[in-house]
Amino acid sequence: MSGSLLLQSLILGILLGGLYALLAAGLTLYFGVMRVVMIAHSAFLILAAYLAWYFNRETGIDPLLSLLVTVPLFFVAGVAMQRLLLSRLRPATLTMMSVLLTFAIALTIEGLLGYVFTGTQRRIQLDYSGSSFEVAGANIAVVKLIAFGLAALSLLGLYLLMKKTRFGQALRATIQHPEAARLLGISTDRIAGYGFGIGLATAAVGGTALALDSTIYPSLHWHWIGPLMAIIVIGGLGSIPGAAIAAMLLGVTQSLLQVPMGTTWAQTVFYIALFATLMVRPQGFFGGRLAQRF
Amino acid sequence: MRSASKAPDGTTGTSGTTFDRVLLGGKVLLLLAGLALVLAFPGLAPDAFILSVGVTIASYAALAVGWNFVGGFTGYISLGHAAYSGLGGYATALLIIDGGLNPWLALGVGALGVAVVAVPIGVASLRVRGASFVIVSIAMVLILLLVSQSWADVTGGSSGLRVPRPFSDDVLRPEQHERFFYLHVALVAVALLVWWAIDRSRFGIGLKAIREDEDKAQSLGVPTFKYKLVVFVISAFFTALAGGMYALWFGYLDPIFQFSILIGSYMVLMSLLGGIRSLFGPVVGAVIVGYSLEYFKNQYGDSQFHLVALGLMLGLVVLFMPDGVLPAIGQLVNRFRPTATSIREESAADLLARTTKTEPRQAEEVSR
Amino acid sequence: MIGPRNVRQLTISSAACIALLAPLGACGLDSGNGEGGDDEIVIGISLPLTGDFSEPGKGVERGYKAWAKYVNENGGLLGKDVRLEILDDQSSADRVASDYEKLISQEKVDLVFGPFSTRLVVPAAQVAKDYGYLFVEPAGAAEEVFTQGFDHLFYAAPAVADDHYNLLADKILAMPADQRPKTVAYASMDDPFAMGTAYGLKDKLEAAGVKTVVDEVYPPNTTDFSSIAAQIADSKADMVVGGSQYQDAVNLIVALQQLDYQPKLAAFSTAPTNPEFPKAIGDKTEGILSPTGYTPEATYQQNQEFVEYYTELNGTAPTEDEANAWTTGEVVAAAVEAADCADPSPECQQELIDYLREATVDTVVGPLSWDAEGRPESAHMIQQYVDGKIRIVLPEDQAEADFIPVKPAW
Repeated sequence: MSGSLLLQSLILGILLGGLYALLAAGLTLYFGVMRVVMIAHSAFLILAAYLAWYFNRETGIDPLLSLLVTVPLFFVAGVAMQRLLLSRLRPATLTMMSVLLTFAIALTIEGLLGYVFTGTQRRIQLDYSGSSFEVAGANIAVVKLIAFGLAALSLLGLYLLMKKTRFGQALRATIQHPEAARLLGISTDRIAGYGFGIGLATAAVGGTALALDSTIYPSLHWHWIGPLMAIIVIGGLGSIPGAAIAAMLLGVTQSLLQVPMGTTWAQTVFYIALFATLMVRPQGFFGGRLAQRF
Repeated sequence: MRSASKAPDGTTGTSGTTFDRVLLGGKVLLLLAGLALVLAFPGLAPDAFILSVGVTIASYAALAVGWNFVGGFTGYISLGHAAYSGLGGYATALLIIDGGLNPWLALGVGALGVAVVAVPIGVASLRVRGASFVIVSIAMVLILLLVSQSWADVTGGSSGLRVPRPFSDDVLRPEQHERFFYLHVALVAVALLVWWAIDRSRFGIGLKAIREDEDKAQSLGVPTFKYKLVVFVISAFFTALAGGMYALWFGYLDPIFQFSILIGSYMVLMSLLGGIRSLFGPVVGAVIVGYSLEYFKNQYGDSQFHLVALGLMLGLVVLFMPDGVLPAIGQLVNRFRPTATSIREESAADLLARTTKTEPRQAEEVSR
Repeated sequence: MIGPRNVRQLTISSAACIALLAPLGACGLDSGNGEGGDDEIVIGISLPLTGDFSEPGKGVERGYKAWAKYVNENGGLLGKDVRLEILDDQSSADRVASDYEKLISQEKVDLVFGPFSTRLVVPAAQVAKDYGYLFVEPAGAAEEVFTQGFDHLFYAAPAVADDHYNLLADKILAMPADQRPKTVAYASMDDPFAMGTAYGLKDKLEAAGVKTVVDEVYPPNTTDFSSIAAQIADSKADMVVGGSQYQDAVNLIVALQQLDYQPKLAAFSTAPTNPEFPKAIGDKTEGILSPTGYTPEATYQQNQEFVEYYTELNGTAPTEDEANAWTTGEVVAAAVEAADCADPSPECQQELIDYLREATVDTVVGPLSWDAEGRPESAHMIQQYVDGKIRIVLPEDQAEADFIPVKPAW
């Protein structure tokens, strides 16, 4: 492997890892507030990508602007989903049944996307989709940089929200110890709903970022859910920094391994890391007490 | 379900009211009628296509019953059991093609091999509670899909793999369907028998304790990890047998359809719909789901609507009928029980006897 | 002994069986169309109208429908009307087999036509073989189709996948040594057809000493091509060959553009012939090569009639998918006319098969004949984007434009 190819792969890996990190953060948030494994996360991701594509096709305006609609829309959908559907499940079987319920939602979204937009692969056509600039011998595509920038900004926003606001405090309290939070007068149900909404909003951002530089089709979400699930387990269920670090590491590893191993085998890195983690450290590498129980 | 409340010697069936006796008689009659109907099905089917639908449904039933060993006893929901049915199919095919084994021997050896493979997977995924288990089960399907597509030298890659037929070419296609229908039914029967035997054993009681409250079960001395692992391996074995049997019948393996999350979700839906705690739940679920899939295909064949229908069905079952159809019907029948009237015509002793018998069930309801 | 709960389960399951079995034959699962009468010939087809292959599947459907309409307007087949019975297999191998099972055993169609894509052709052909039906298919070009021992299968197109690039290989090898590409990068979708095309060319070029510097296979649903593109760009190969369908080629080309990789020759299967292609890659098409089995400009008499009829019917000229479907119709019709029968009986179907084994049929893609396994024995043409339009450049006697040996930058 030549030096320039190494650098190029590293850069591609970091750009990809950023997107993984944002999406994994959303998944972690659901798990944190509700102990819910949200299989439909990536289906919403693809839904957002379709909305961006459709917005661009119908209006001709830059797909980034579709965020103004999709982010609030997804936030509301997330809150509604938590309040109307997931909170109905029995607490004792919540983890298992929520998997099935969100799985059912994922199937429904996939089916509806196929119904409305057909199974044809779609791609947004932008004048700058082929443009790039050179840094130290490596080429960085403009669209990929925009996607990465979106992901990084959203993650930063999420971080500030969690650390600096009262709502963030309440959210973290709910994640760490729901009973105690409730005793302190935090309305954990409402907080959980908002947490869910924020999680789904990350899918809206991620989907738009994805649509900039990738083909989309209804069943694409299966392609994403596996790696994302692996990331949140490796990071330690419930730990947002853990998920972000695991996402970055695995994104870069995958990108580097693609050169000697080929794309297909390189994808297995997520699953090998997942099994290794469960064998060596089942609670994940950054997870605390929470992860041990699930 | 009340099965956990059954005394270890299994004597709770002898409650004496007339209603119970009538019910029992009716059930036996219905059971025999159902069995006769299943066995007569190939003769009743008007053409080979209907017969092939019957084989597909029987195959679903075999998969669902296989799934229900782990799902029903432990409450651990695996969305990735297609991994084991697919592996079973590939193992059977490869043992015939590359190993030169007799097809039926290959089926058995292949399923045993899958059971061995399931041990480390179980060790990795059962050490932690539900969430990780589900994630690993999905990951297994995805990883096997990647491997079976990429390792083309062995698996035939994405071109698929043709499986040699176990019967000679003189056996015409409808005749093949008929034989495979009975073979699948026999497999379902054997799996049900094993499920039933476990259900009544100490082992089964320990497993159900895990399902209801794993922490309590552990503190009461149930070796939870060992129990979960054993039943997981049994489940993988039967699922692999069903997958291998399907491969022999269908004669063609394509990685995308063998290692498909959809197949895994069918198994969950079928078991859940029928009732994971009941012996015949998965079979009933398989008949309903298998038939519905054919029906949706026939009615809305040229759209993606079948996915929406599947998604909605699964969602509704999870939200409103998490215990399945059979327990729901069971409760309905219980309403007609004479004792369910508001005026009690029992002595205190009767009542006491009844209360002690039903108490564990109520405790169970609470603990859920 | 059996507990009451268990027995209840037994009974309920039995009741469910009875309730479900009763209507099984009568309602729900039969089509209601019944068998064709004596005055019509029913042709059963299963096509991927939804799912992964739905785009080409619909193209094939348009071709079949146009052909049936054309035949019926011109006196029918053996004097009878042709009726198509088309089912959707959802791009699934399980479905396609059950569809043909249904068409043949339940609806008792007189003839069957093949589905789309190698993946679906093999299981479908197995069903047709079990019932002794002739199986002419428009889209199973990969070598795997012809090595399964199917003696009833014929591929209705000029050449199998491995031979698609033959003319291009000859052309490259005939170049003077200093112009000939020395290194080639191959990237192919993990699909029997796509890999067949790319590896067919690879084998020929490697045999002549042209070095392979990248050889990548990606899964069918890959959307991120940046790593593959990075390797190709890093190898600085003189030529890039893509064994592609449609969207994967577009993605790969965009990813290569992002890395500013400029090969001297670039060849991709299928994608460049798609009318959407120039727009999708930003109109930087000049010099891109692609094999094709069909061109609306071909001068065969059948083709001129076909293009005229189809264009009038649908408003656009036919593409390769429609042409292959039409060709399938023509091939089966030729057999039916020659054998003077079209019914499900094994004797008639065998007569049809025997006829095609020896025959040469004139079609819209030229005269076709087949070897013992059903491989067609003609060649694909090579097209190239010249002055912004895709044109035939090889073989030279049919060329509409001159071959561009050094591709301009994209």
